[in-house]
Amino acid sequence: MTFRLRDIDITFGDLPVLKQLSMDMDEHQLICILGPSGSGKTTLLNLISGSLEPDRGQIEGFEGKSISFLFQETRLLRWKTVEDNIDFVLKDRLSKTERVEIINRYIEMVGLKEFRRYYPDQLSGGMKQRVAIARAFAFPSDILLMDEPFKGLDLQLKNSLMQAFANVWLTDKRSVFFVTHDLDEALLLGEEIFVLTPSPGKVKGVITNAIPYKERNLNSDPLRSIKDRLYQLITAP
Amino acid sequence: MRNSTIRNSLLSAASILALLLVWKLMAVYWNQELIMPAPETTLVTMWQVIQADNFWQSVGYTLGRGLLGFVISCAIGVVAGFAAGFSPPVMWLLQPWVTVIRTIPVMSVIILAIIWFRTDIVPIFVTFLMIFPIIYSNVLSGIKNIDKQLLEMAHMYRVKPRRIMTELYFPAILPYLMAGAANAMGITWKVIIAAEILSQPRFAIGTNLMIAKIDLETARVFAWTAVAIAISFILEYGLNVLEKRLKKWG
Repeated sequence: MTFRLRDIDITFGDLPVLKQLSMDMDEHQLICILGPSGSGKTTLLNLISGSLEPDRGQIEGFEGKSISFLFQETRLLRWKTVEDNIDFVLKDRLSKTERVEIINRYIEMVGLKEFRRYYPDQLSGGMKQRVAIARAFAFPSDILLMDEPFKGLDLQLKNSLMQAFANVWLTDKRSVFFVTHDLDEALLLGEEIFVLTPSPGKVKGVITNAIPYKERNLNSDPLRSIKDRLYQLITAP
Repeated sequence: MRNSTIRNSLLSAASILALLLVWKLMAVYWNQELIMPAPETTLVTMWQVIQADNFWQSVGYTLGRGLLGFVISCAIGVVAGFAAGFSPPVMWLLQPWVTVIRTIPVMSVIILAIIWFRTDIVPIFVTFLMIFPIIYSNVLSGIKNIDKQLLEMAHMYRVKPRRIMTELYFPAILPYLMAGAANAMGITWKVIIAAEILSQPRFAIGTNLMIAKIDLETARVFAWTAVAIAISFILEYGLNVLEKRLKKWG
């Protein structure tokens, strides 16, 4: 096991947010953390990114790792074009020629080649989130943290974005920690699905989803059976 | 789109025409050049004013004072605004000063400045006191309203602080700064000329206005006023061009 969280406790004021949380995870996997709101999902990501320290417990495997992010909001600079938005996070690390090559590659992968010189205000919400996906992958990171990036989108857009995301990820397997409260998102993207309890959050169980991405369809029997198991786990006392 | 642009231009032209018409009617009604010179008289006088020896010198000096006062105030306003935006103690230190400066009557400032400074410097000093608070508070509110999520993103991706400053803060604050600058530019000309009228520097639009008034040459007062308005228009246009340039920079 490469990444390890052991007996993590964290409290904000009087409110215990995570309690006795332990997780073991492999590298280059798409790890999904599924939990209701208030289960400390975002706190968990902040612990992984190092922007928060736990009150108790050990966190291993994340030291010195470079991290990129995908948020619910696209967080693009309004005054920069699509390619310059990606360049903004790369400039301090890579040479000009490397950057041009990488930016082109990921813009193409998310299907925005024709829009590379557009400003965010000229793009639809879904296109902006694609730019954010391209930025997250273009950044030379070992780990990608995703905090409900598909929340609040309509079903069709959500599916096409998840598809775009999965396509990029399959060619470039970073270690992904994907936080969501949505069962279907977890089923479509997760390889290992960690289910958290409501507040304070701890791991209720783990379900492995080994179905290849191309065969993942919410109406297919194999995915349905995993969904049933997930559902039982979530509703179990 | 095009039609509405043409319509808007026509409306503006009609409005200017109406203004001239009202002016002419008032001139006819009073029938006294001393009170209300006619538009055509003003135009002729303006031609004479432009041809006079001291015209370009007066305009040049007033323009120079205005721009100098404007640039100094903007520079100090931006620096102080940034300092206050990043450091609450600095903000609380500056707050009383800014409040006092903002509420002093313009005339008190001008009179005190005449007592303290050379006549040339008075308009610059007065301009500074009038527009520094505008620039300062606009920059400050720009920094306070900056998108925290963008900042968080930049920090998480470990973008260097210098680049966060030039590529995130400056472009985000630019609209606030330009709104303040446009507002300040208009005030600058009013204040500069008021200060010149009272302090009477050797070469100045304000001095010429005052002399015209003493000579009871109302047409010349109108002519110099028209010159001041024209300069103001040109500078505001310049500011617009500058803003468009700067927007590309971010």
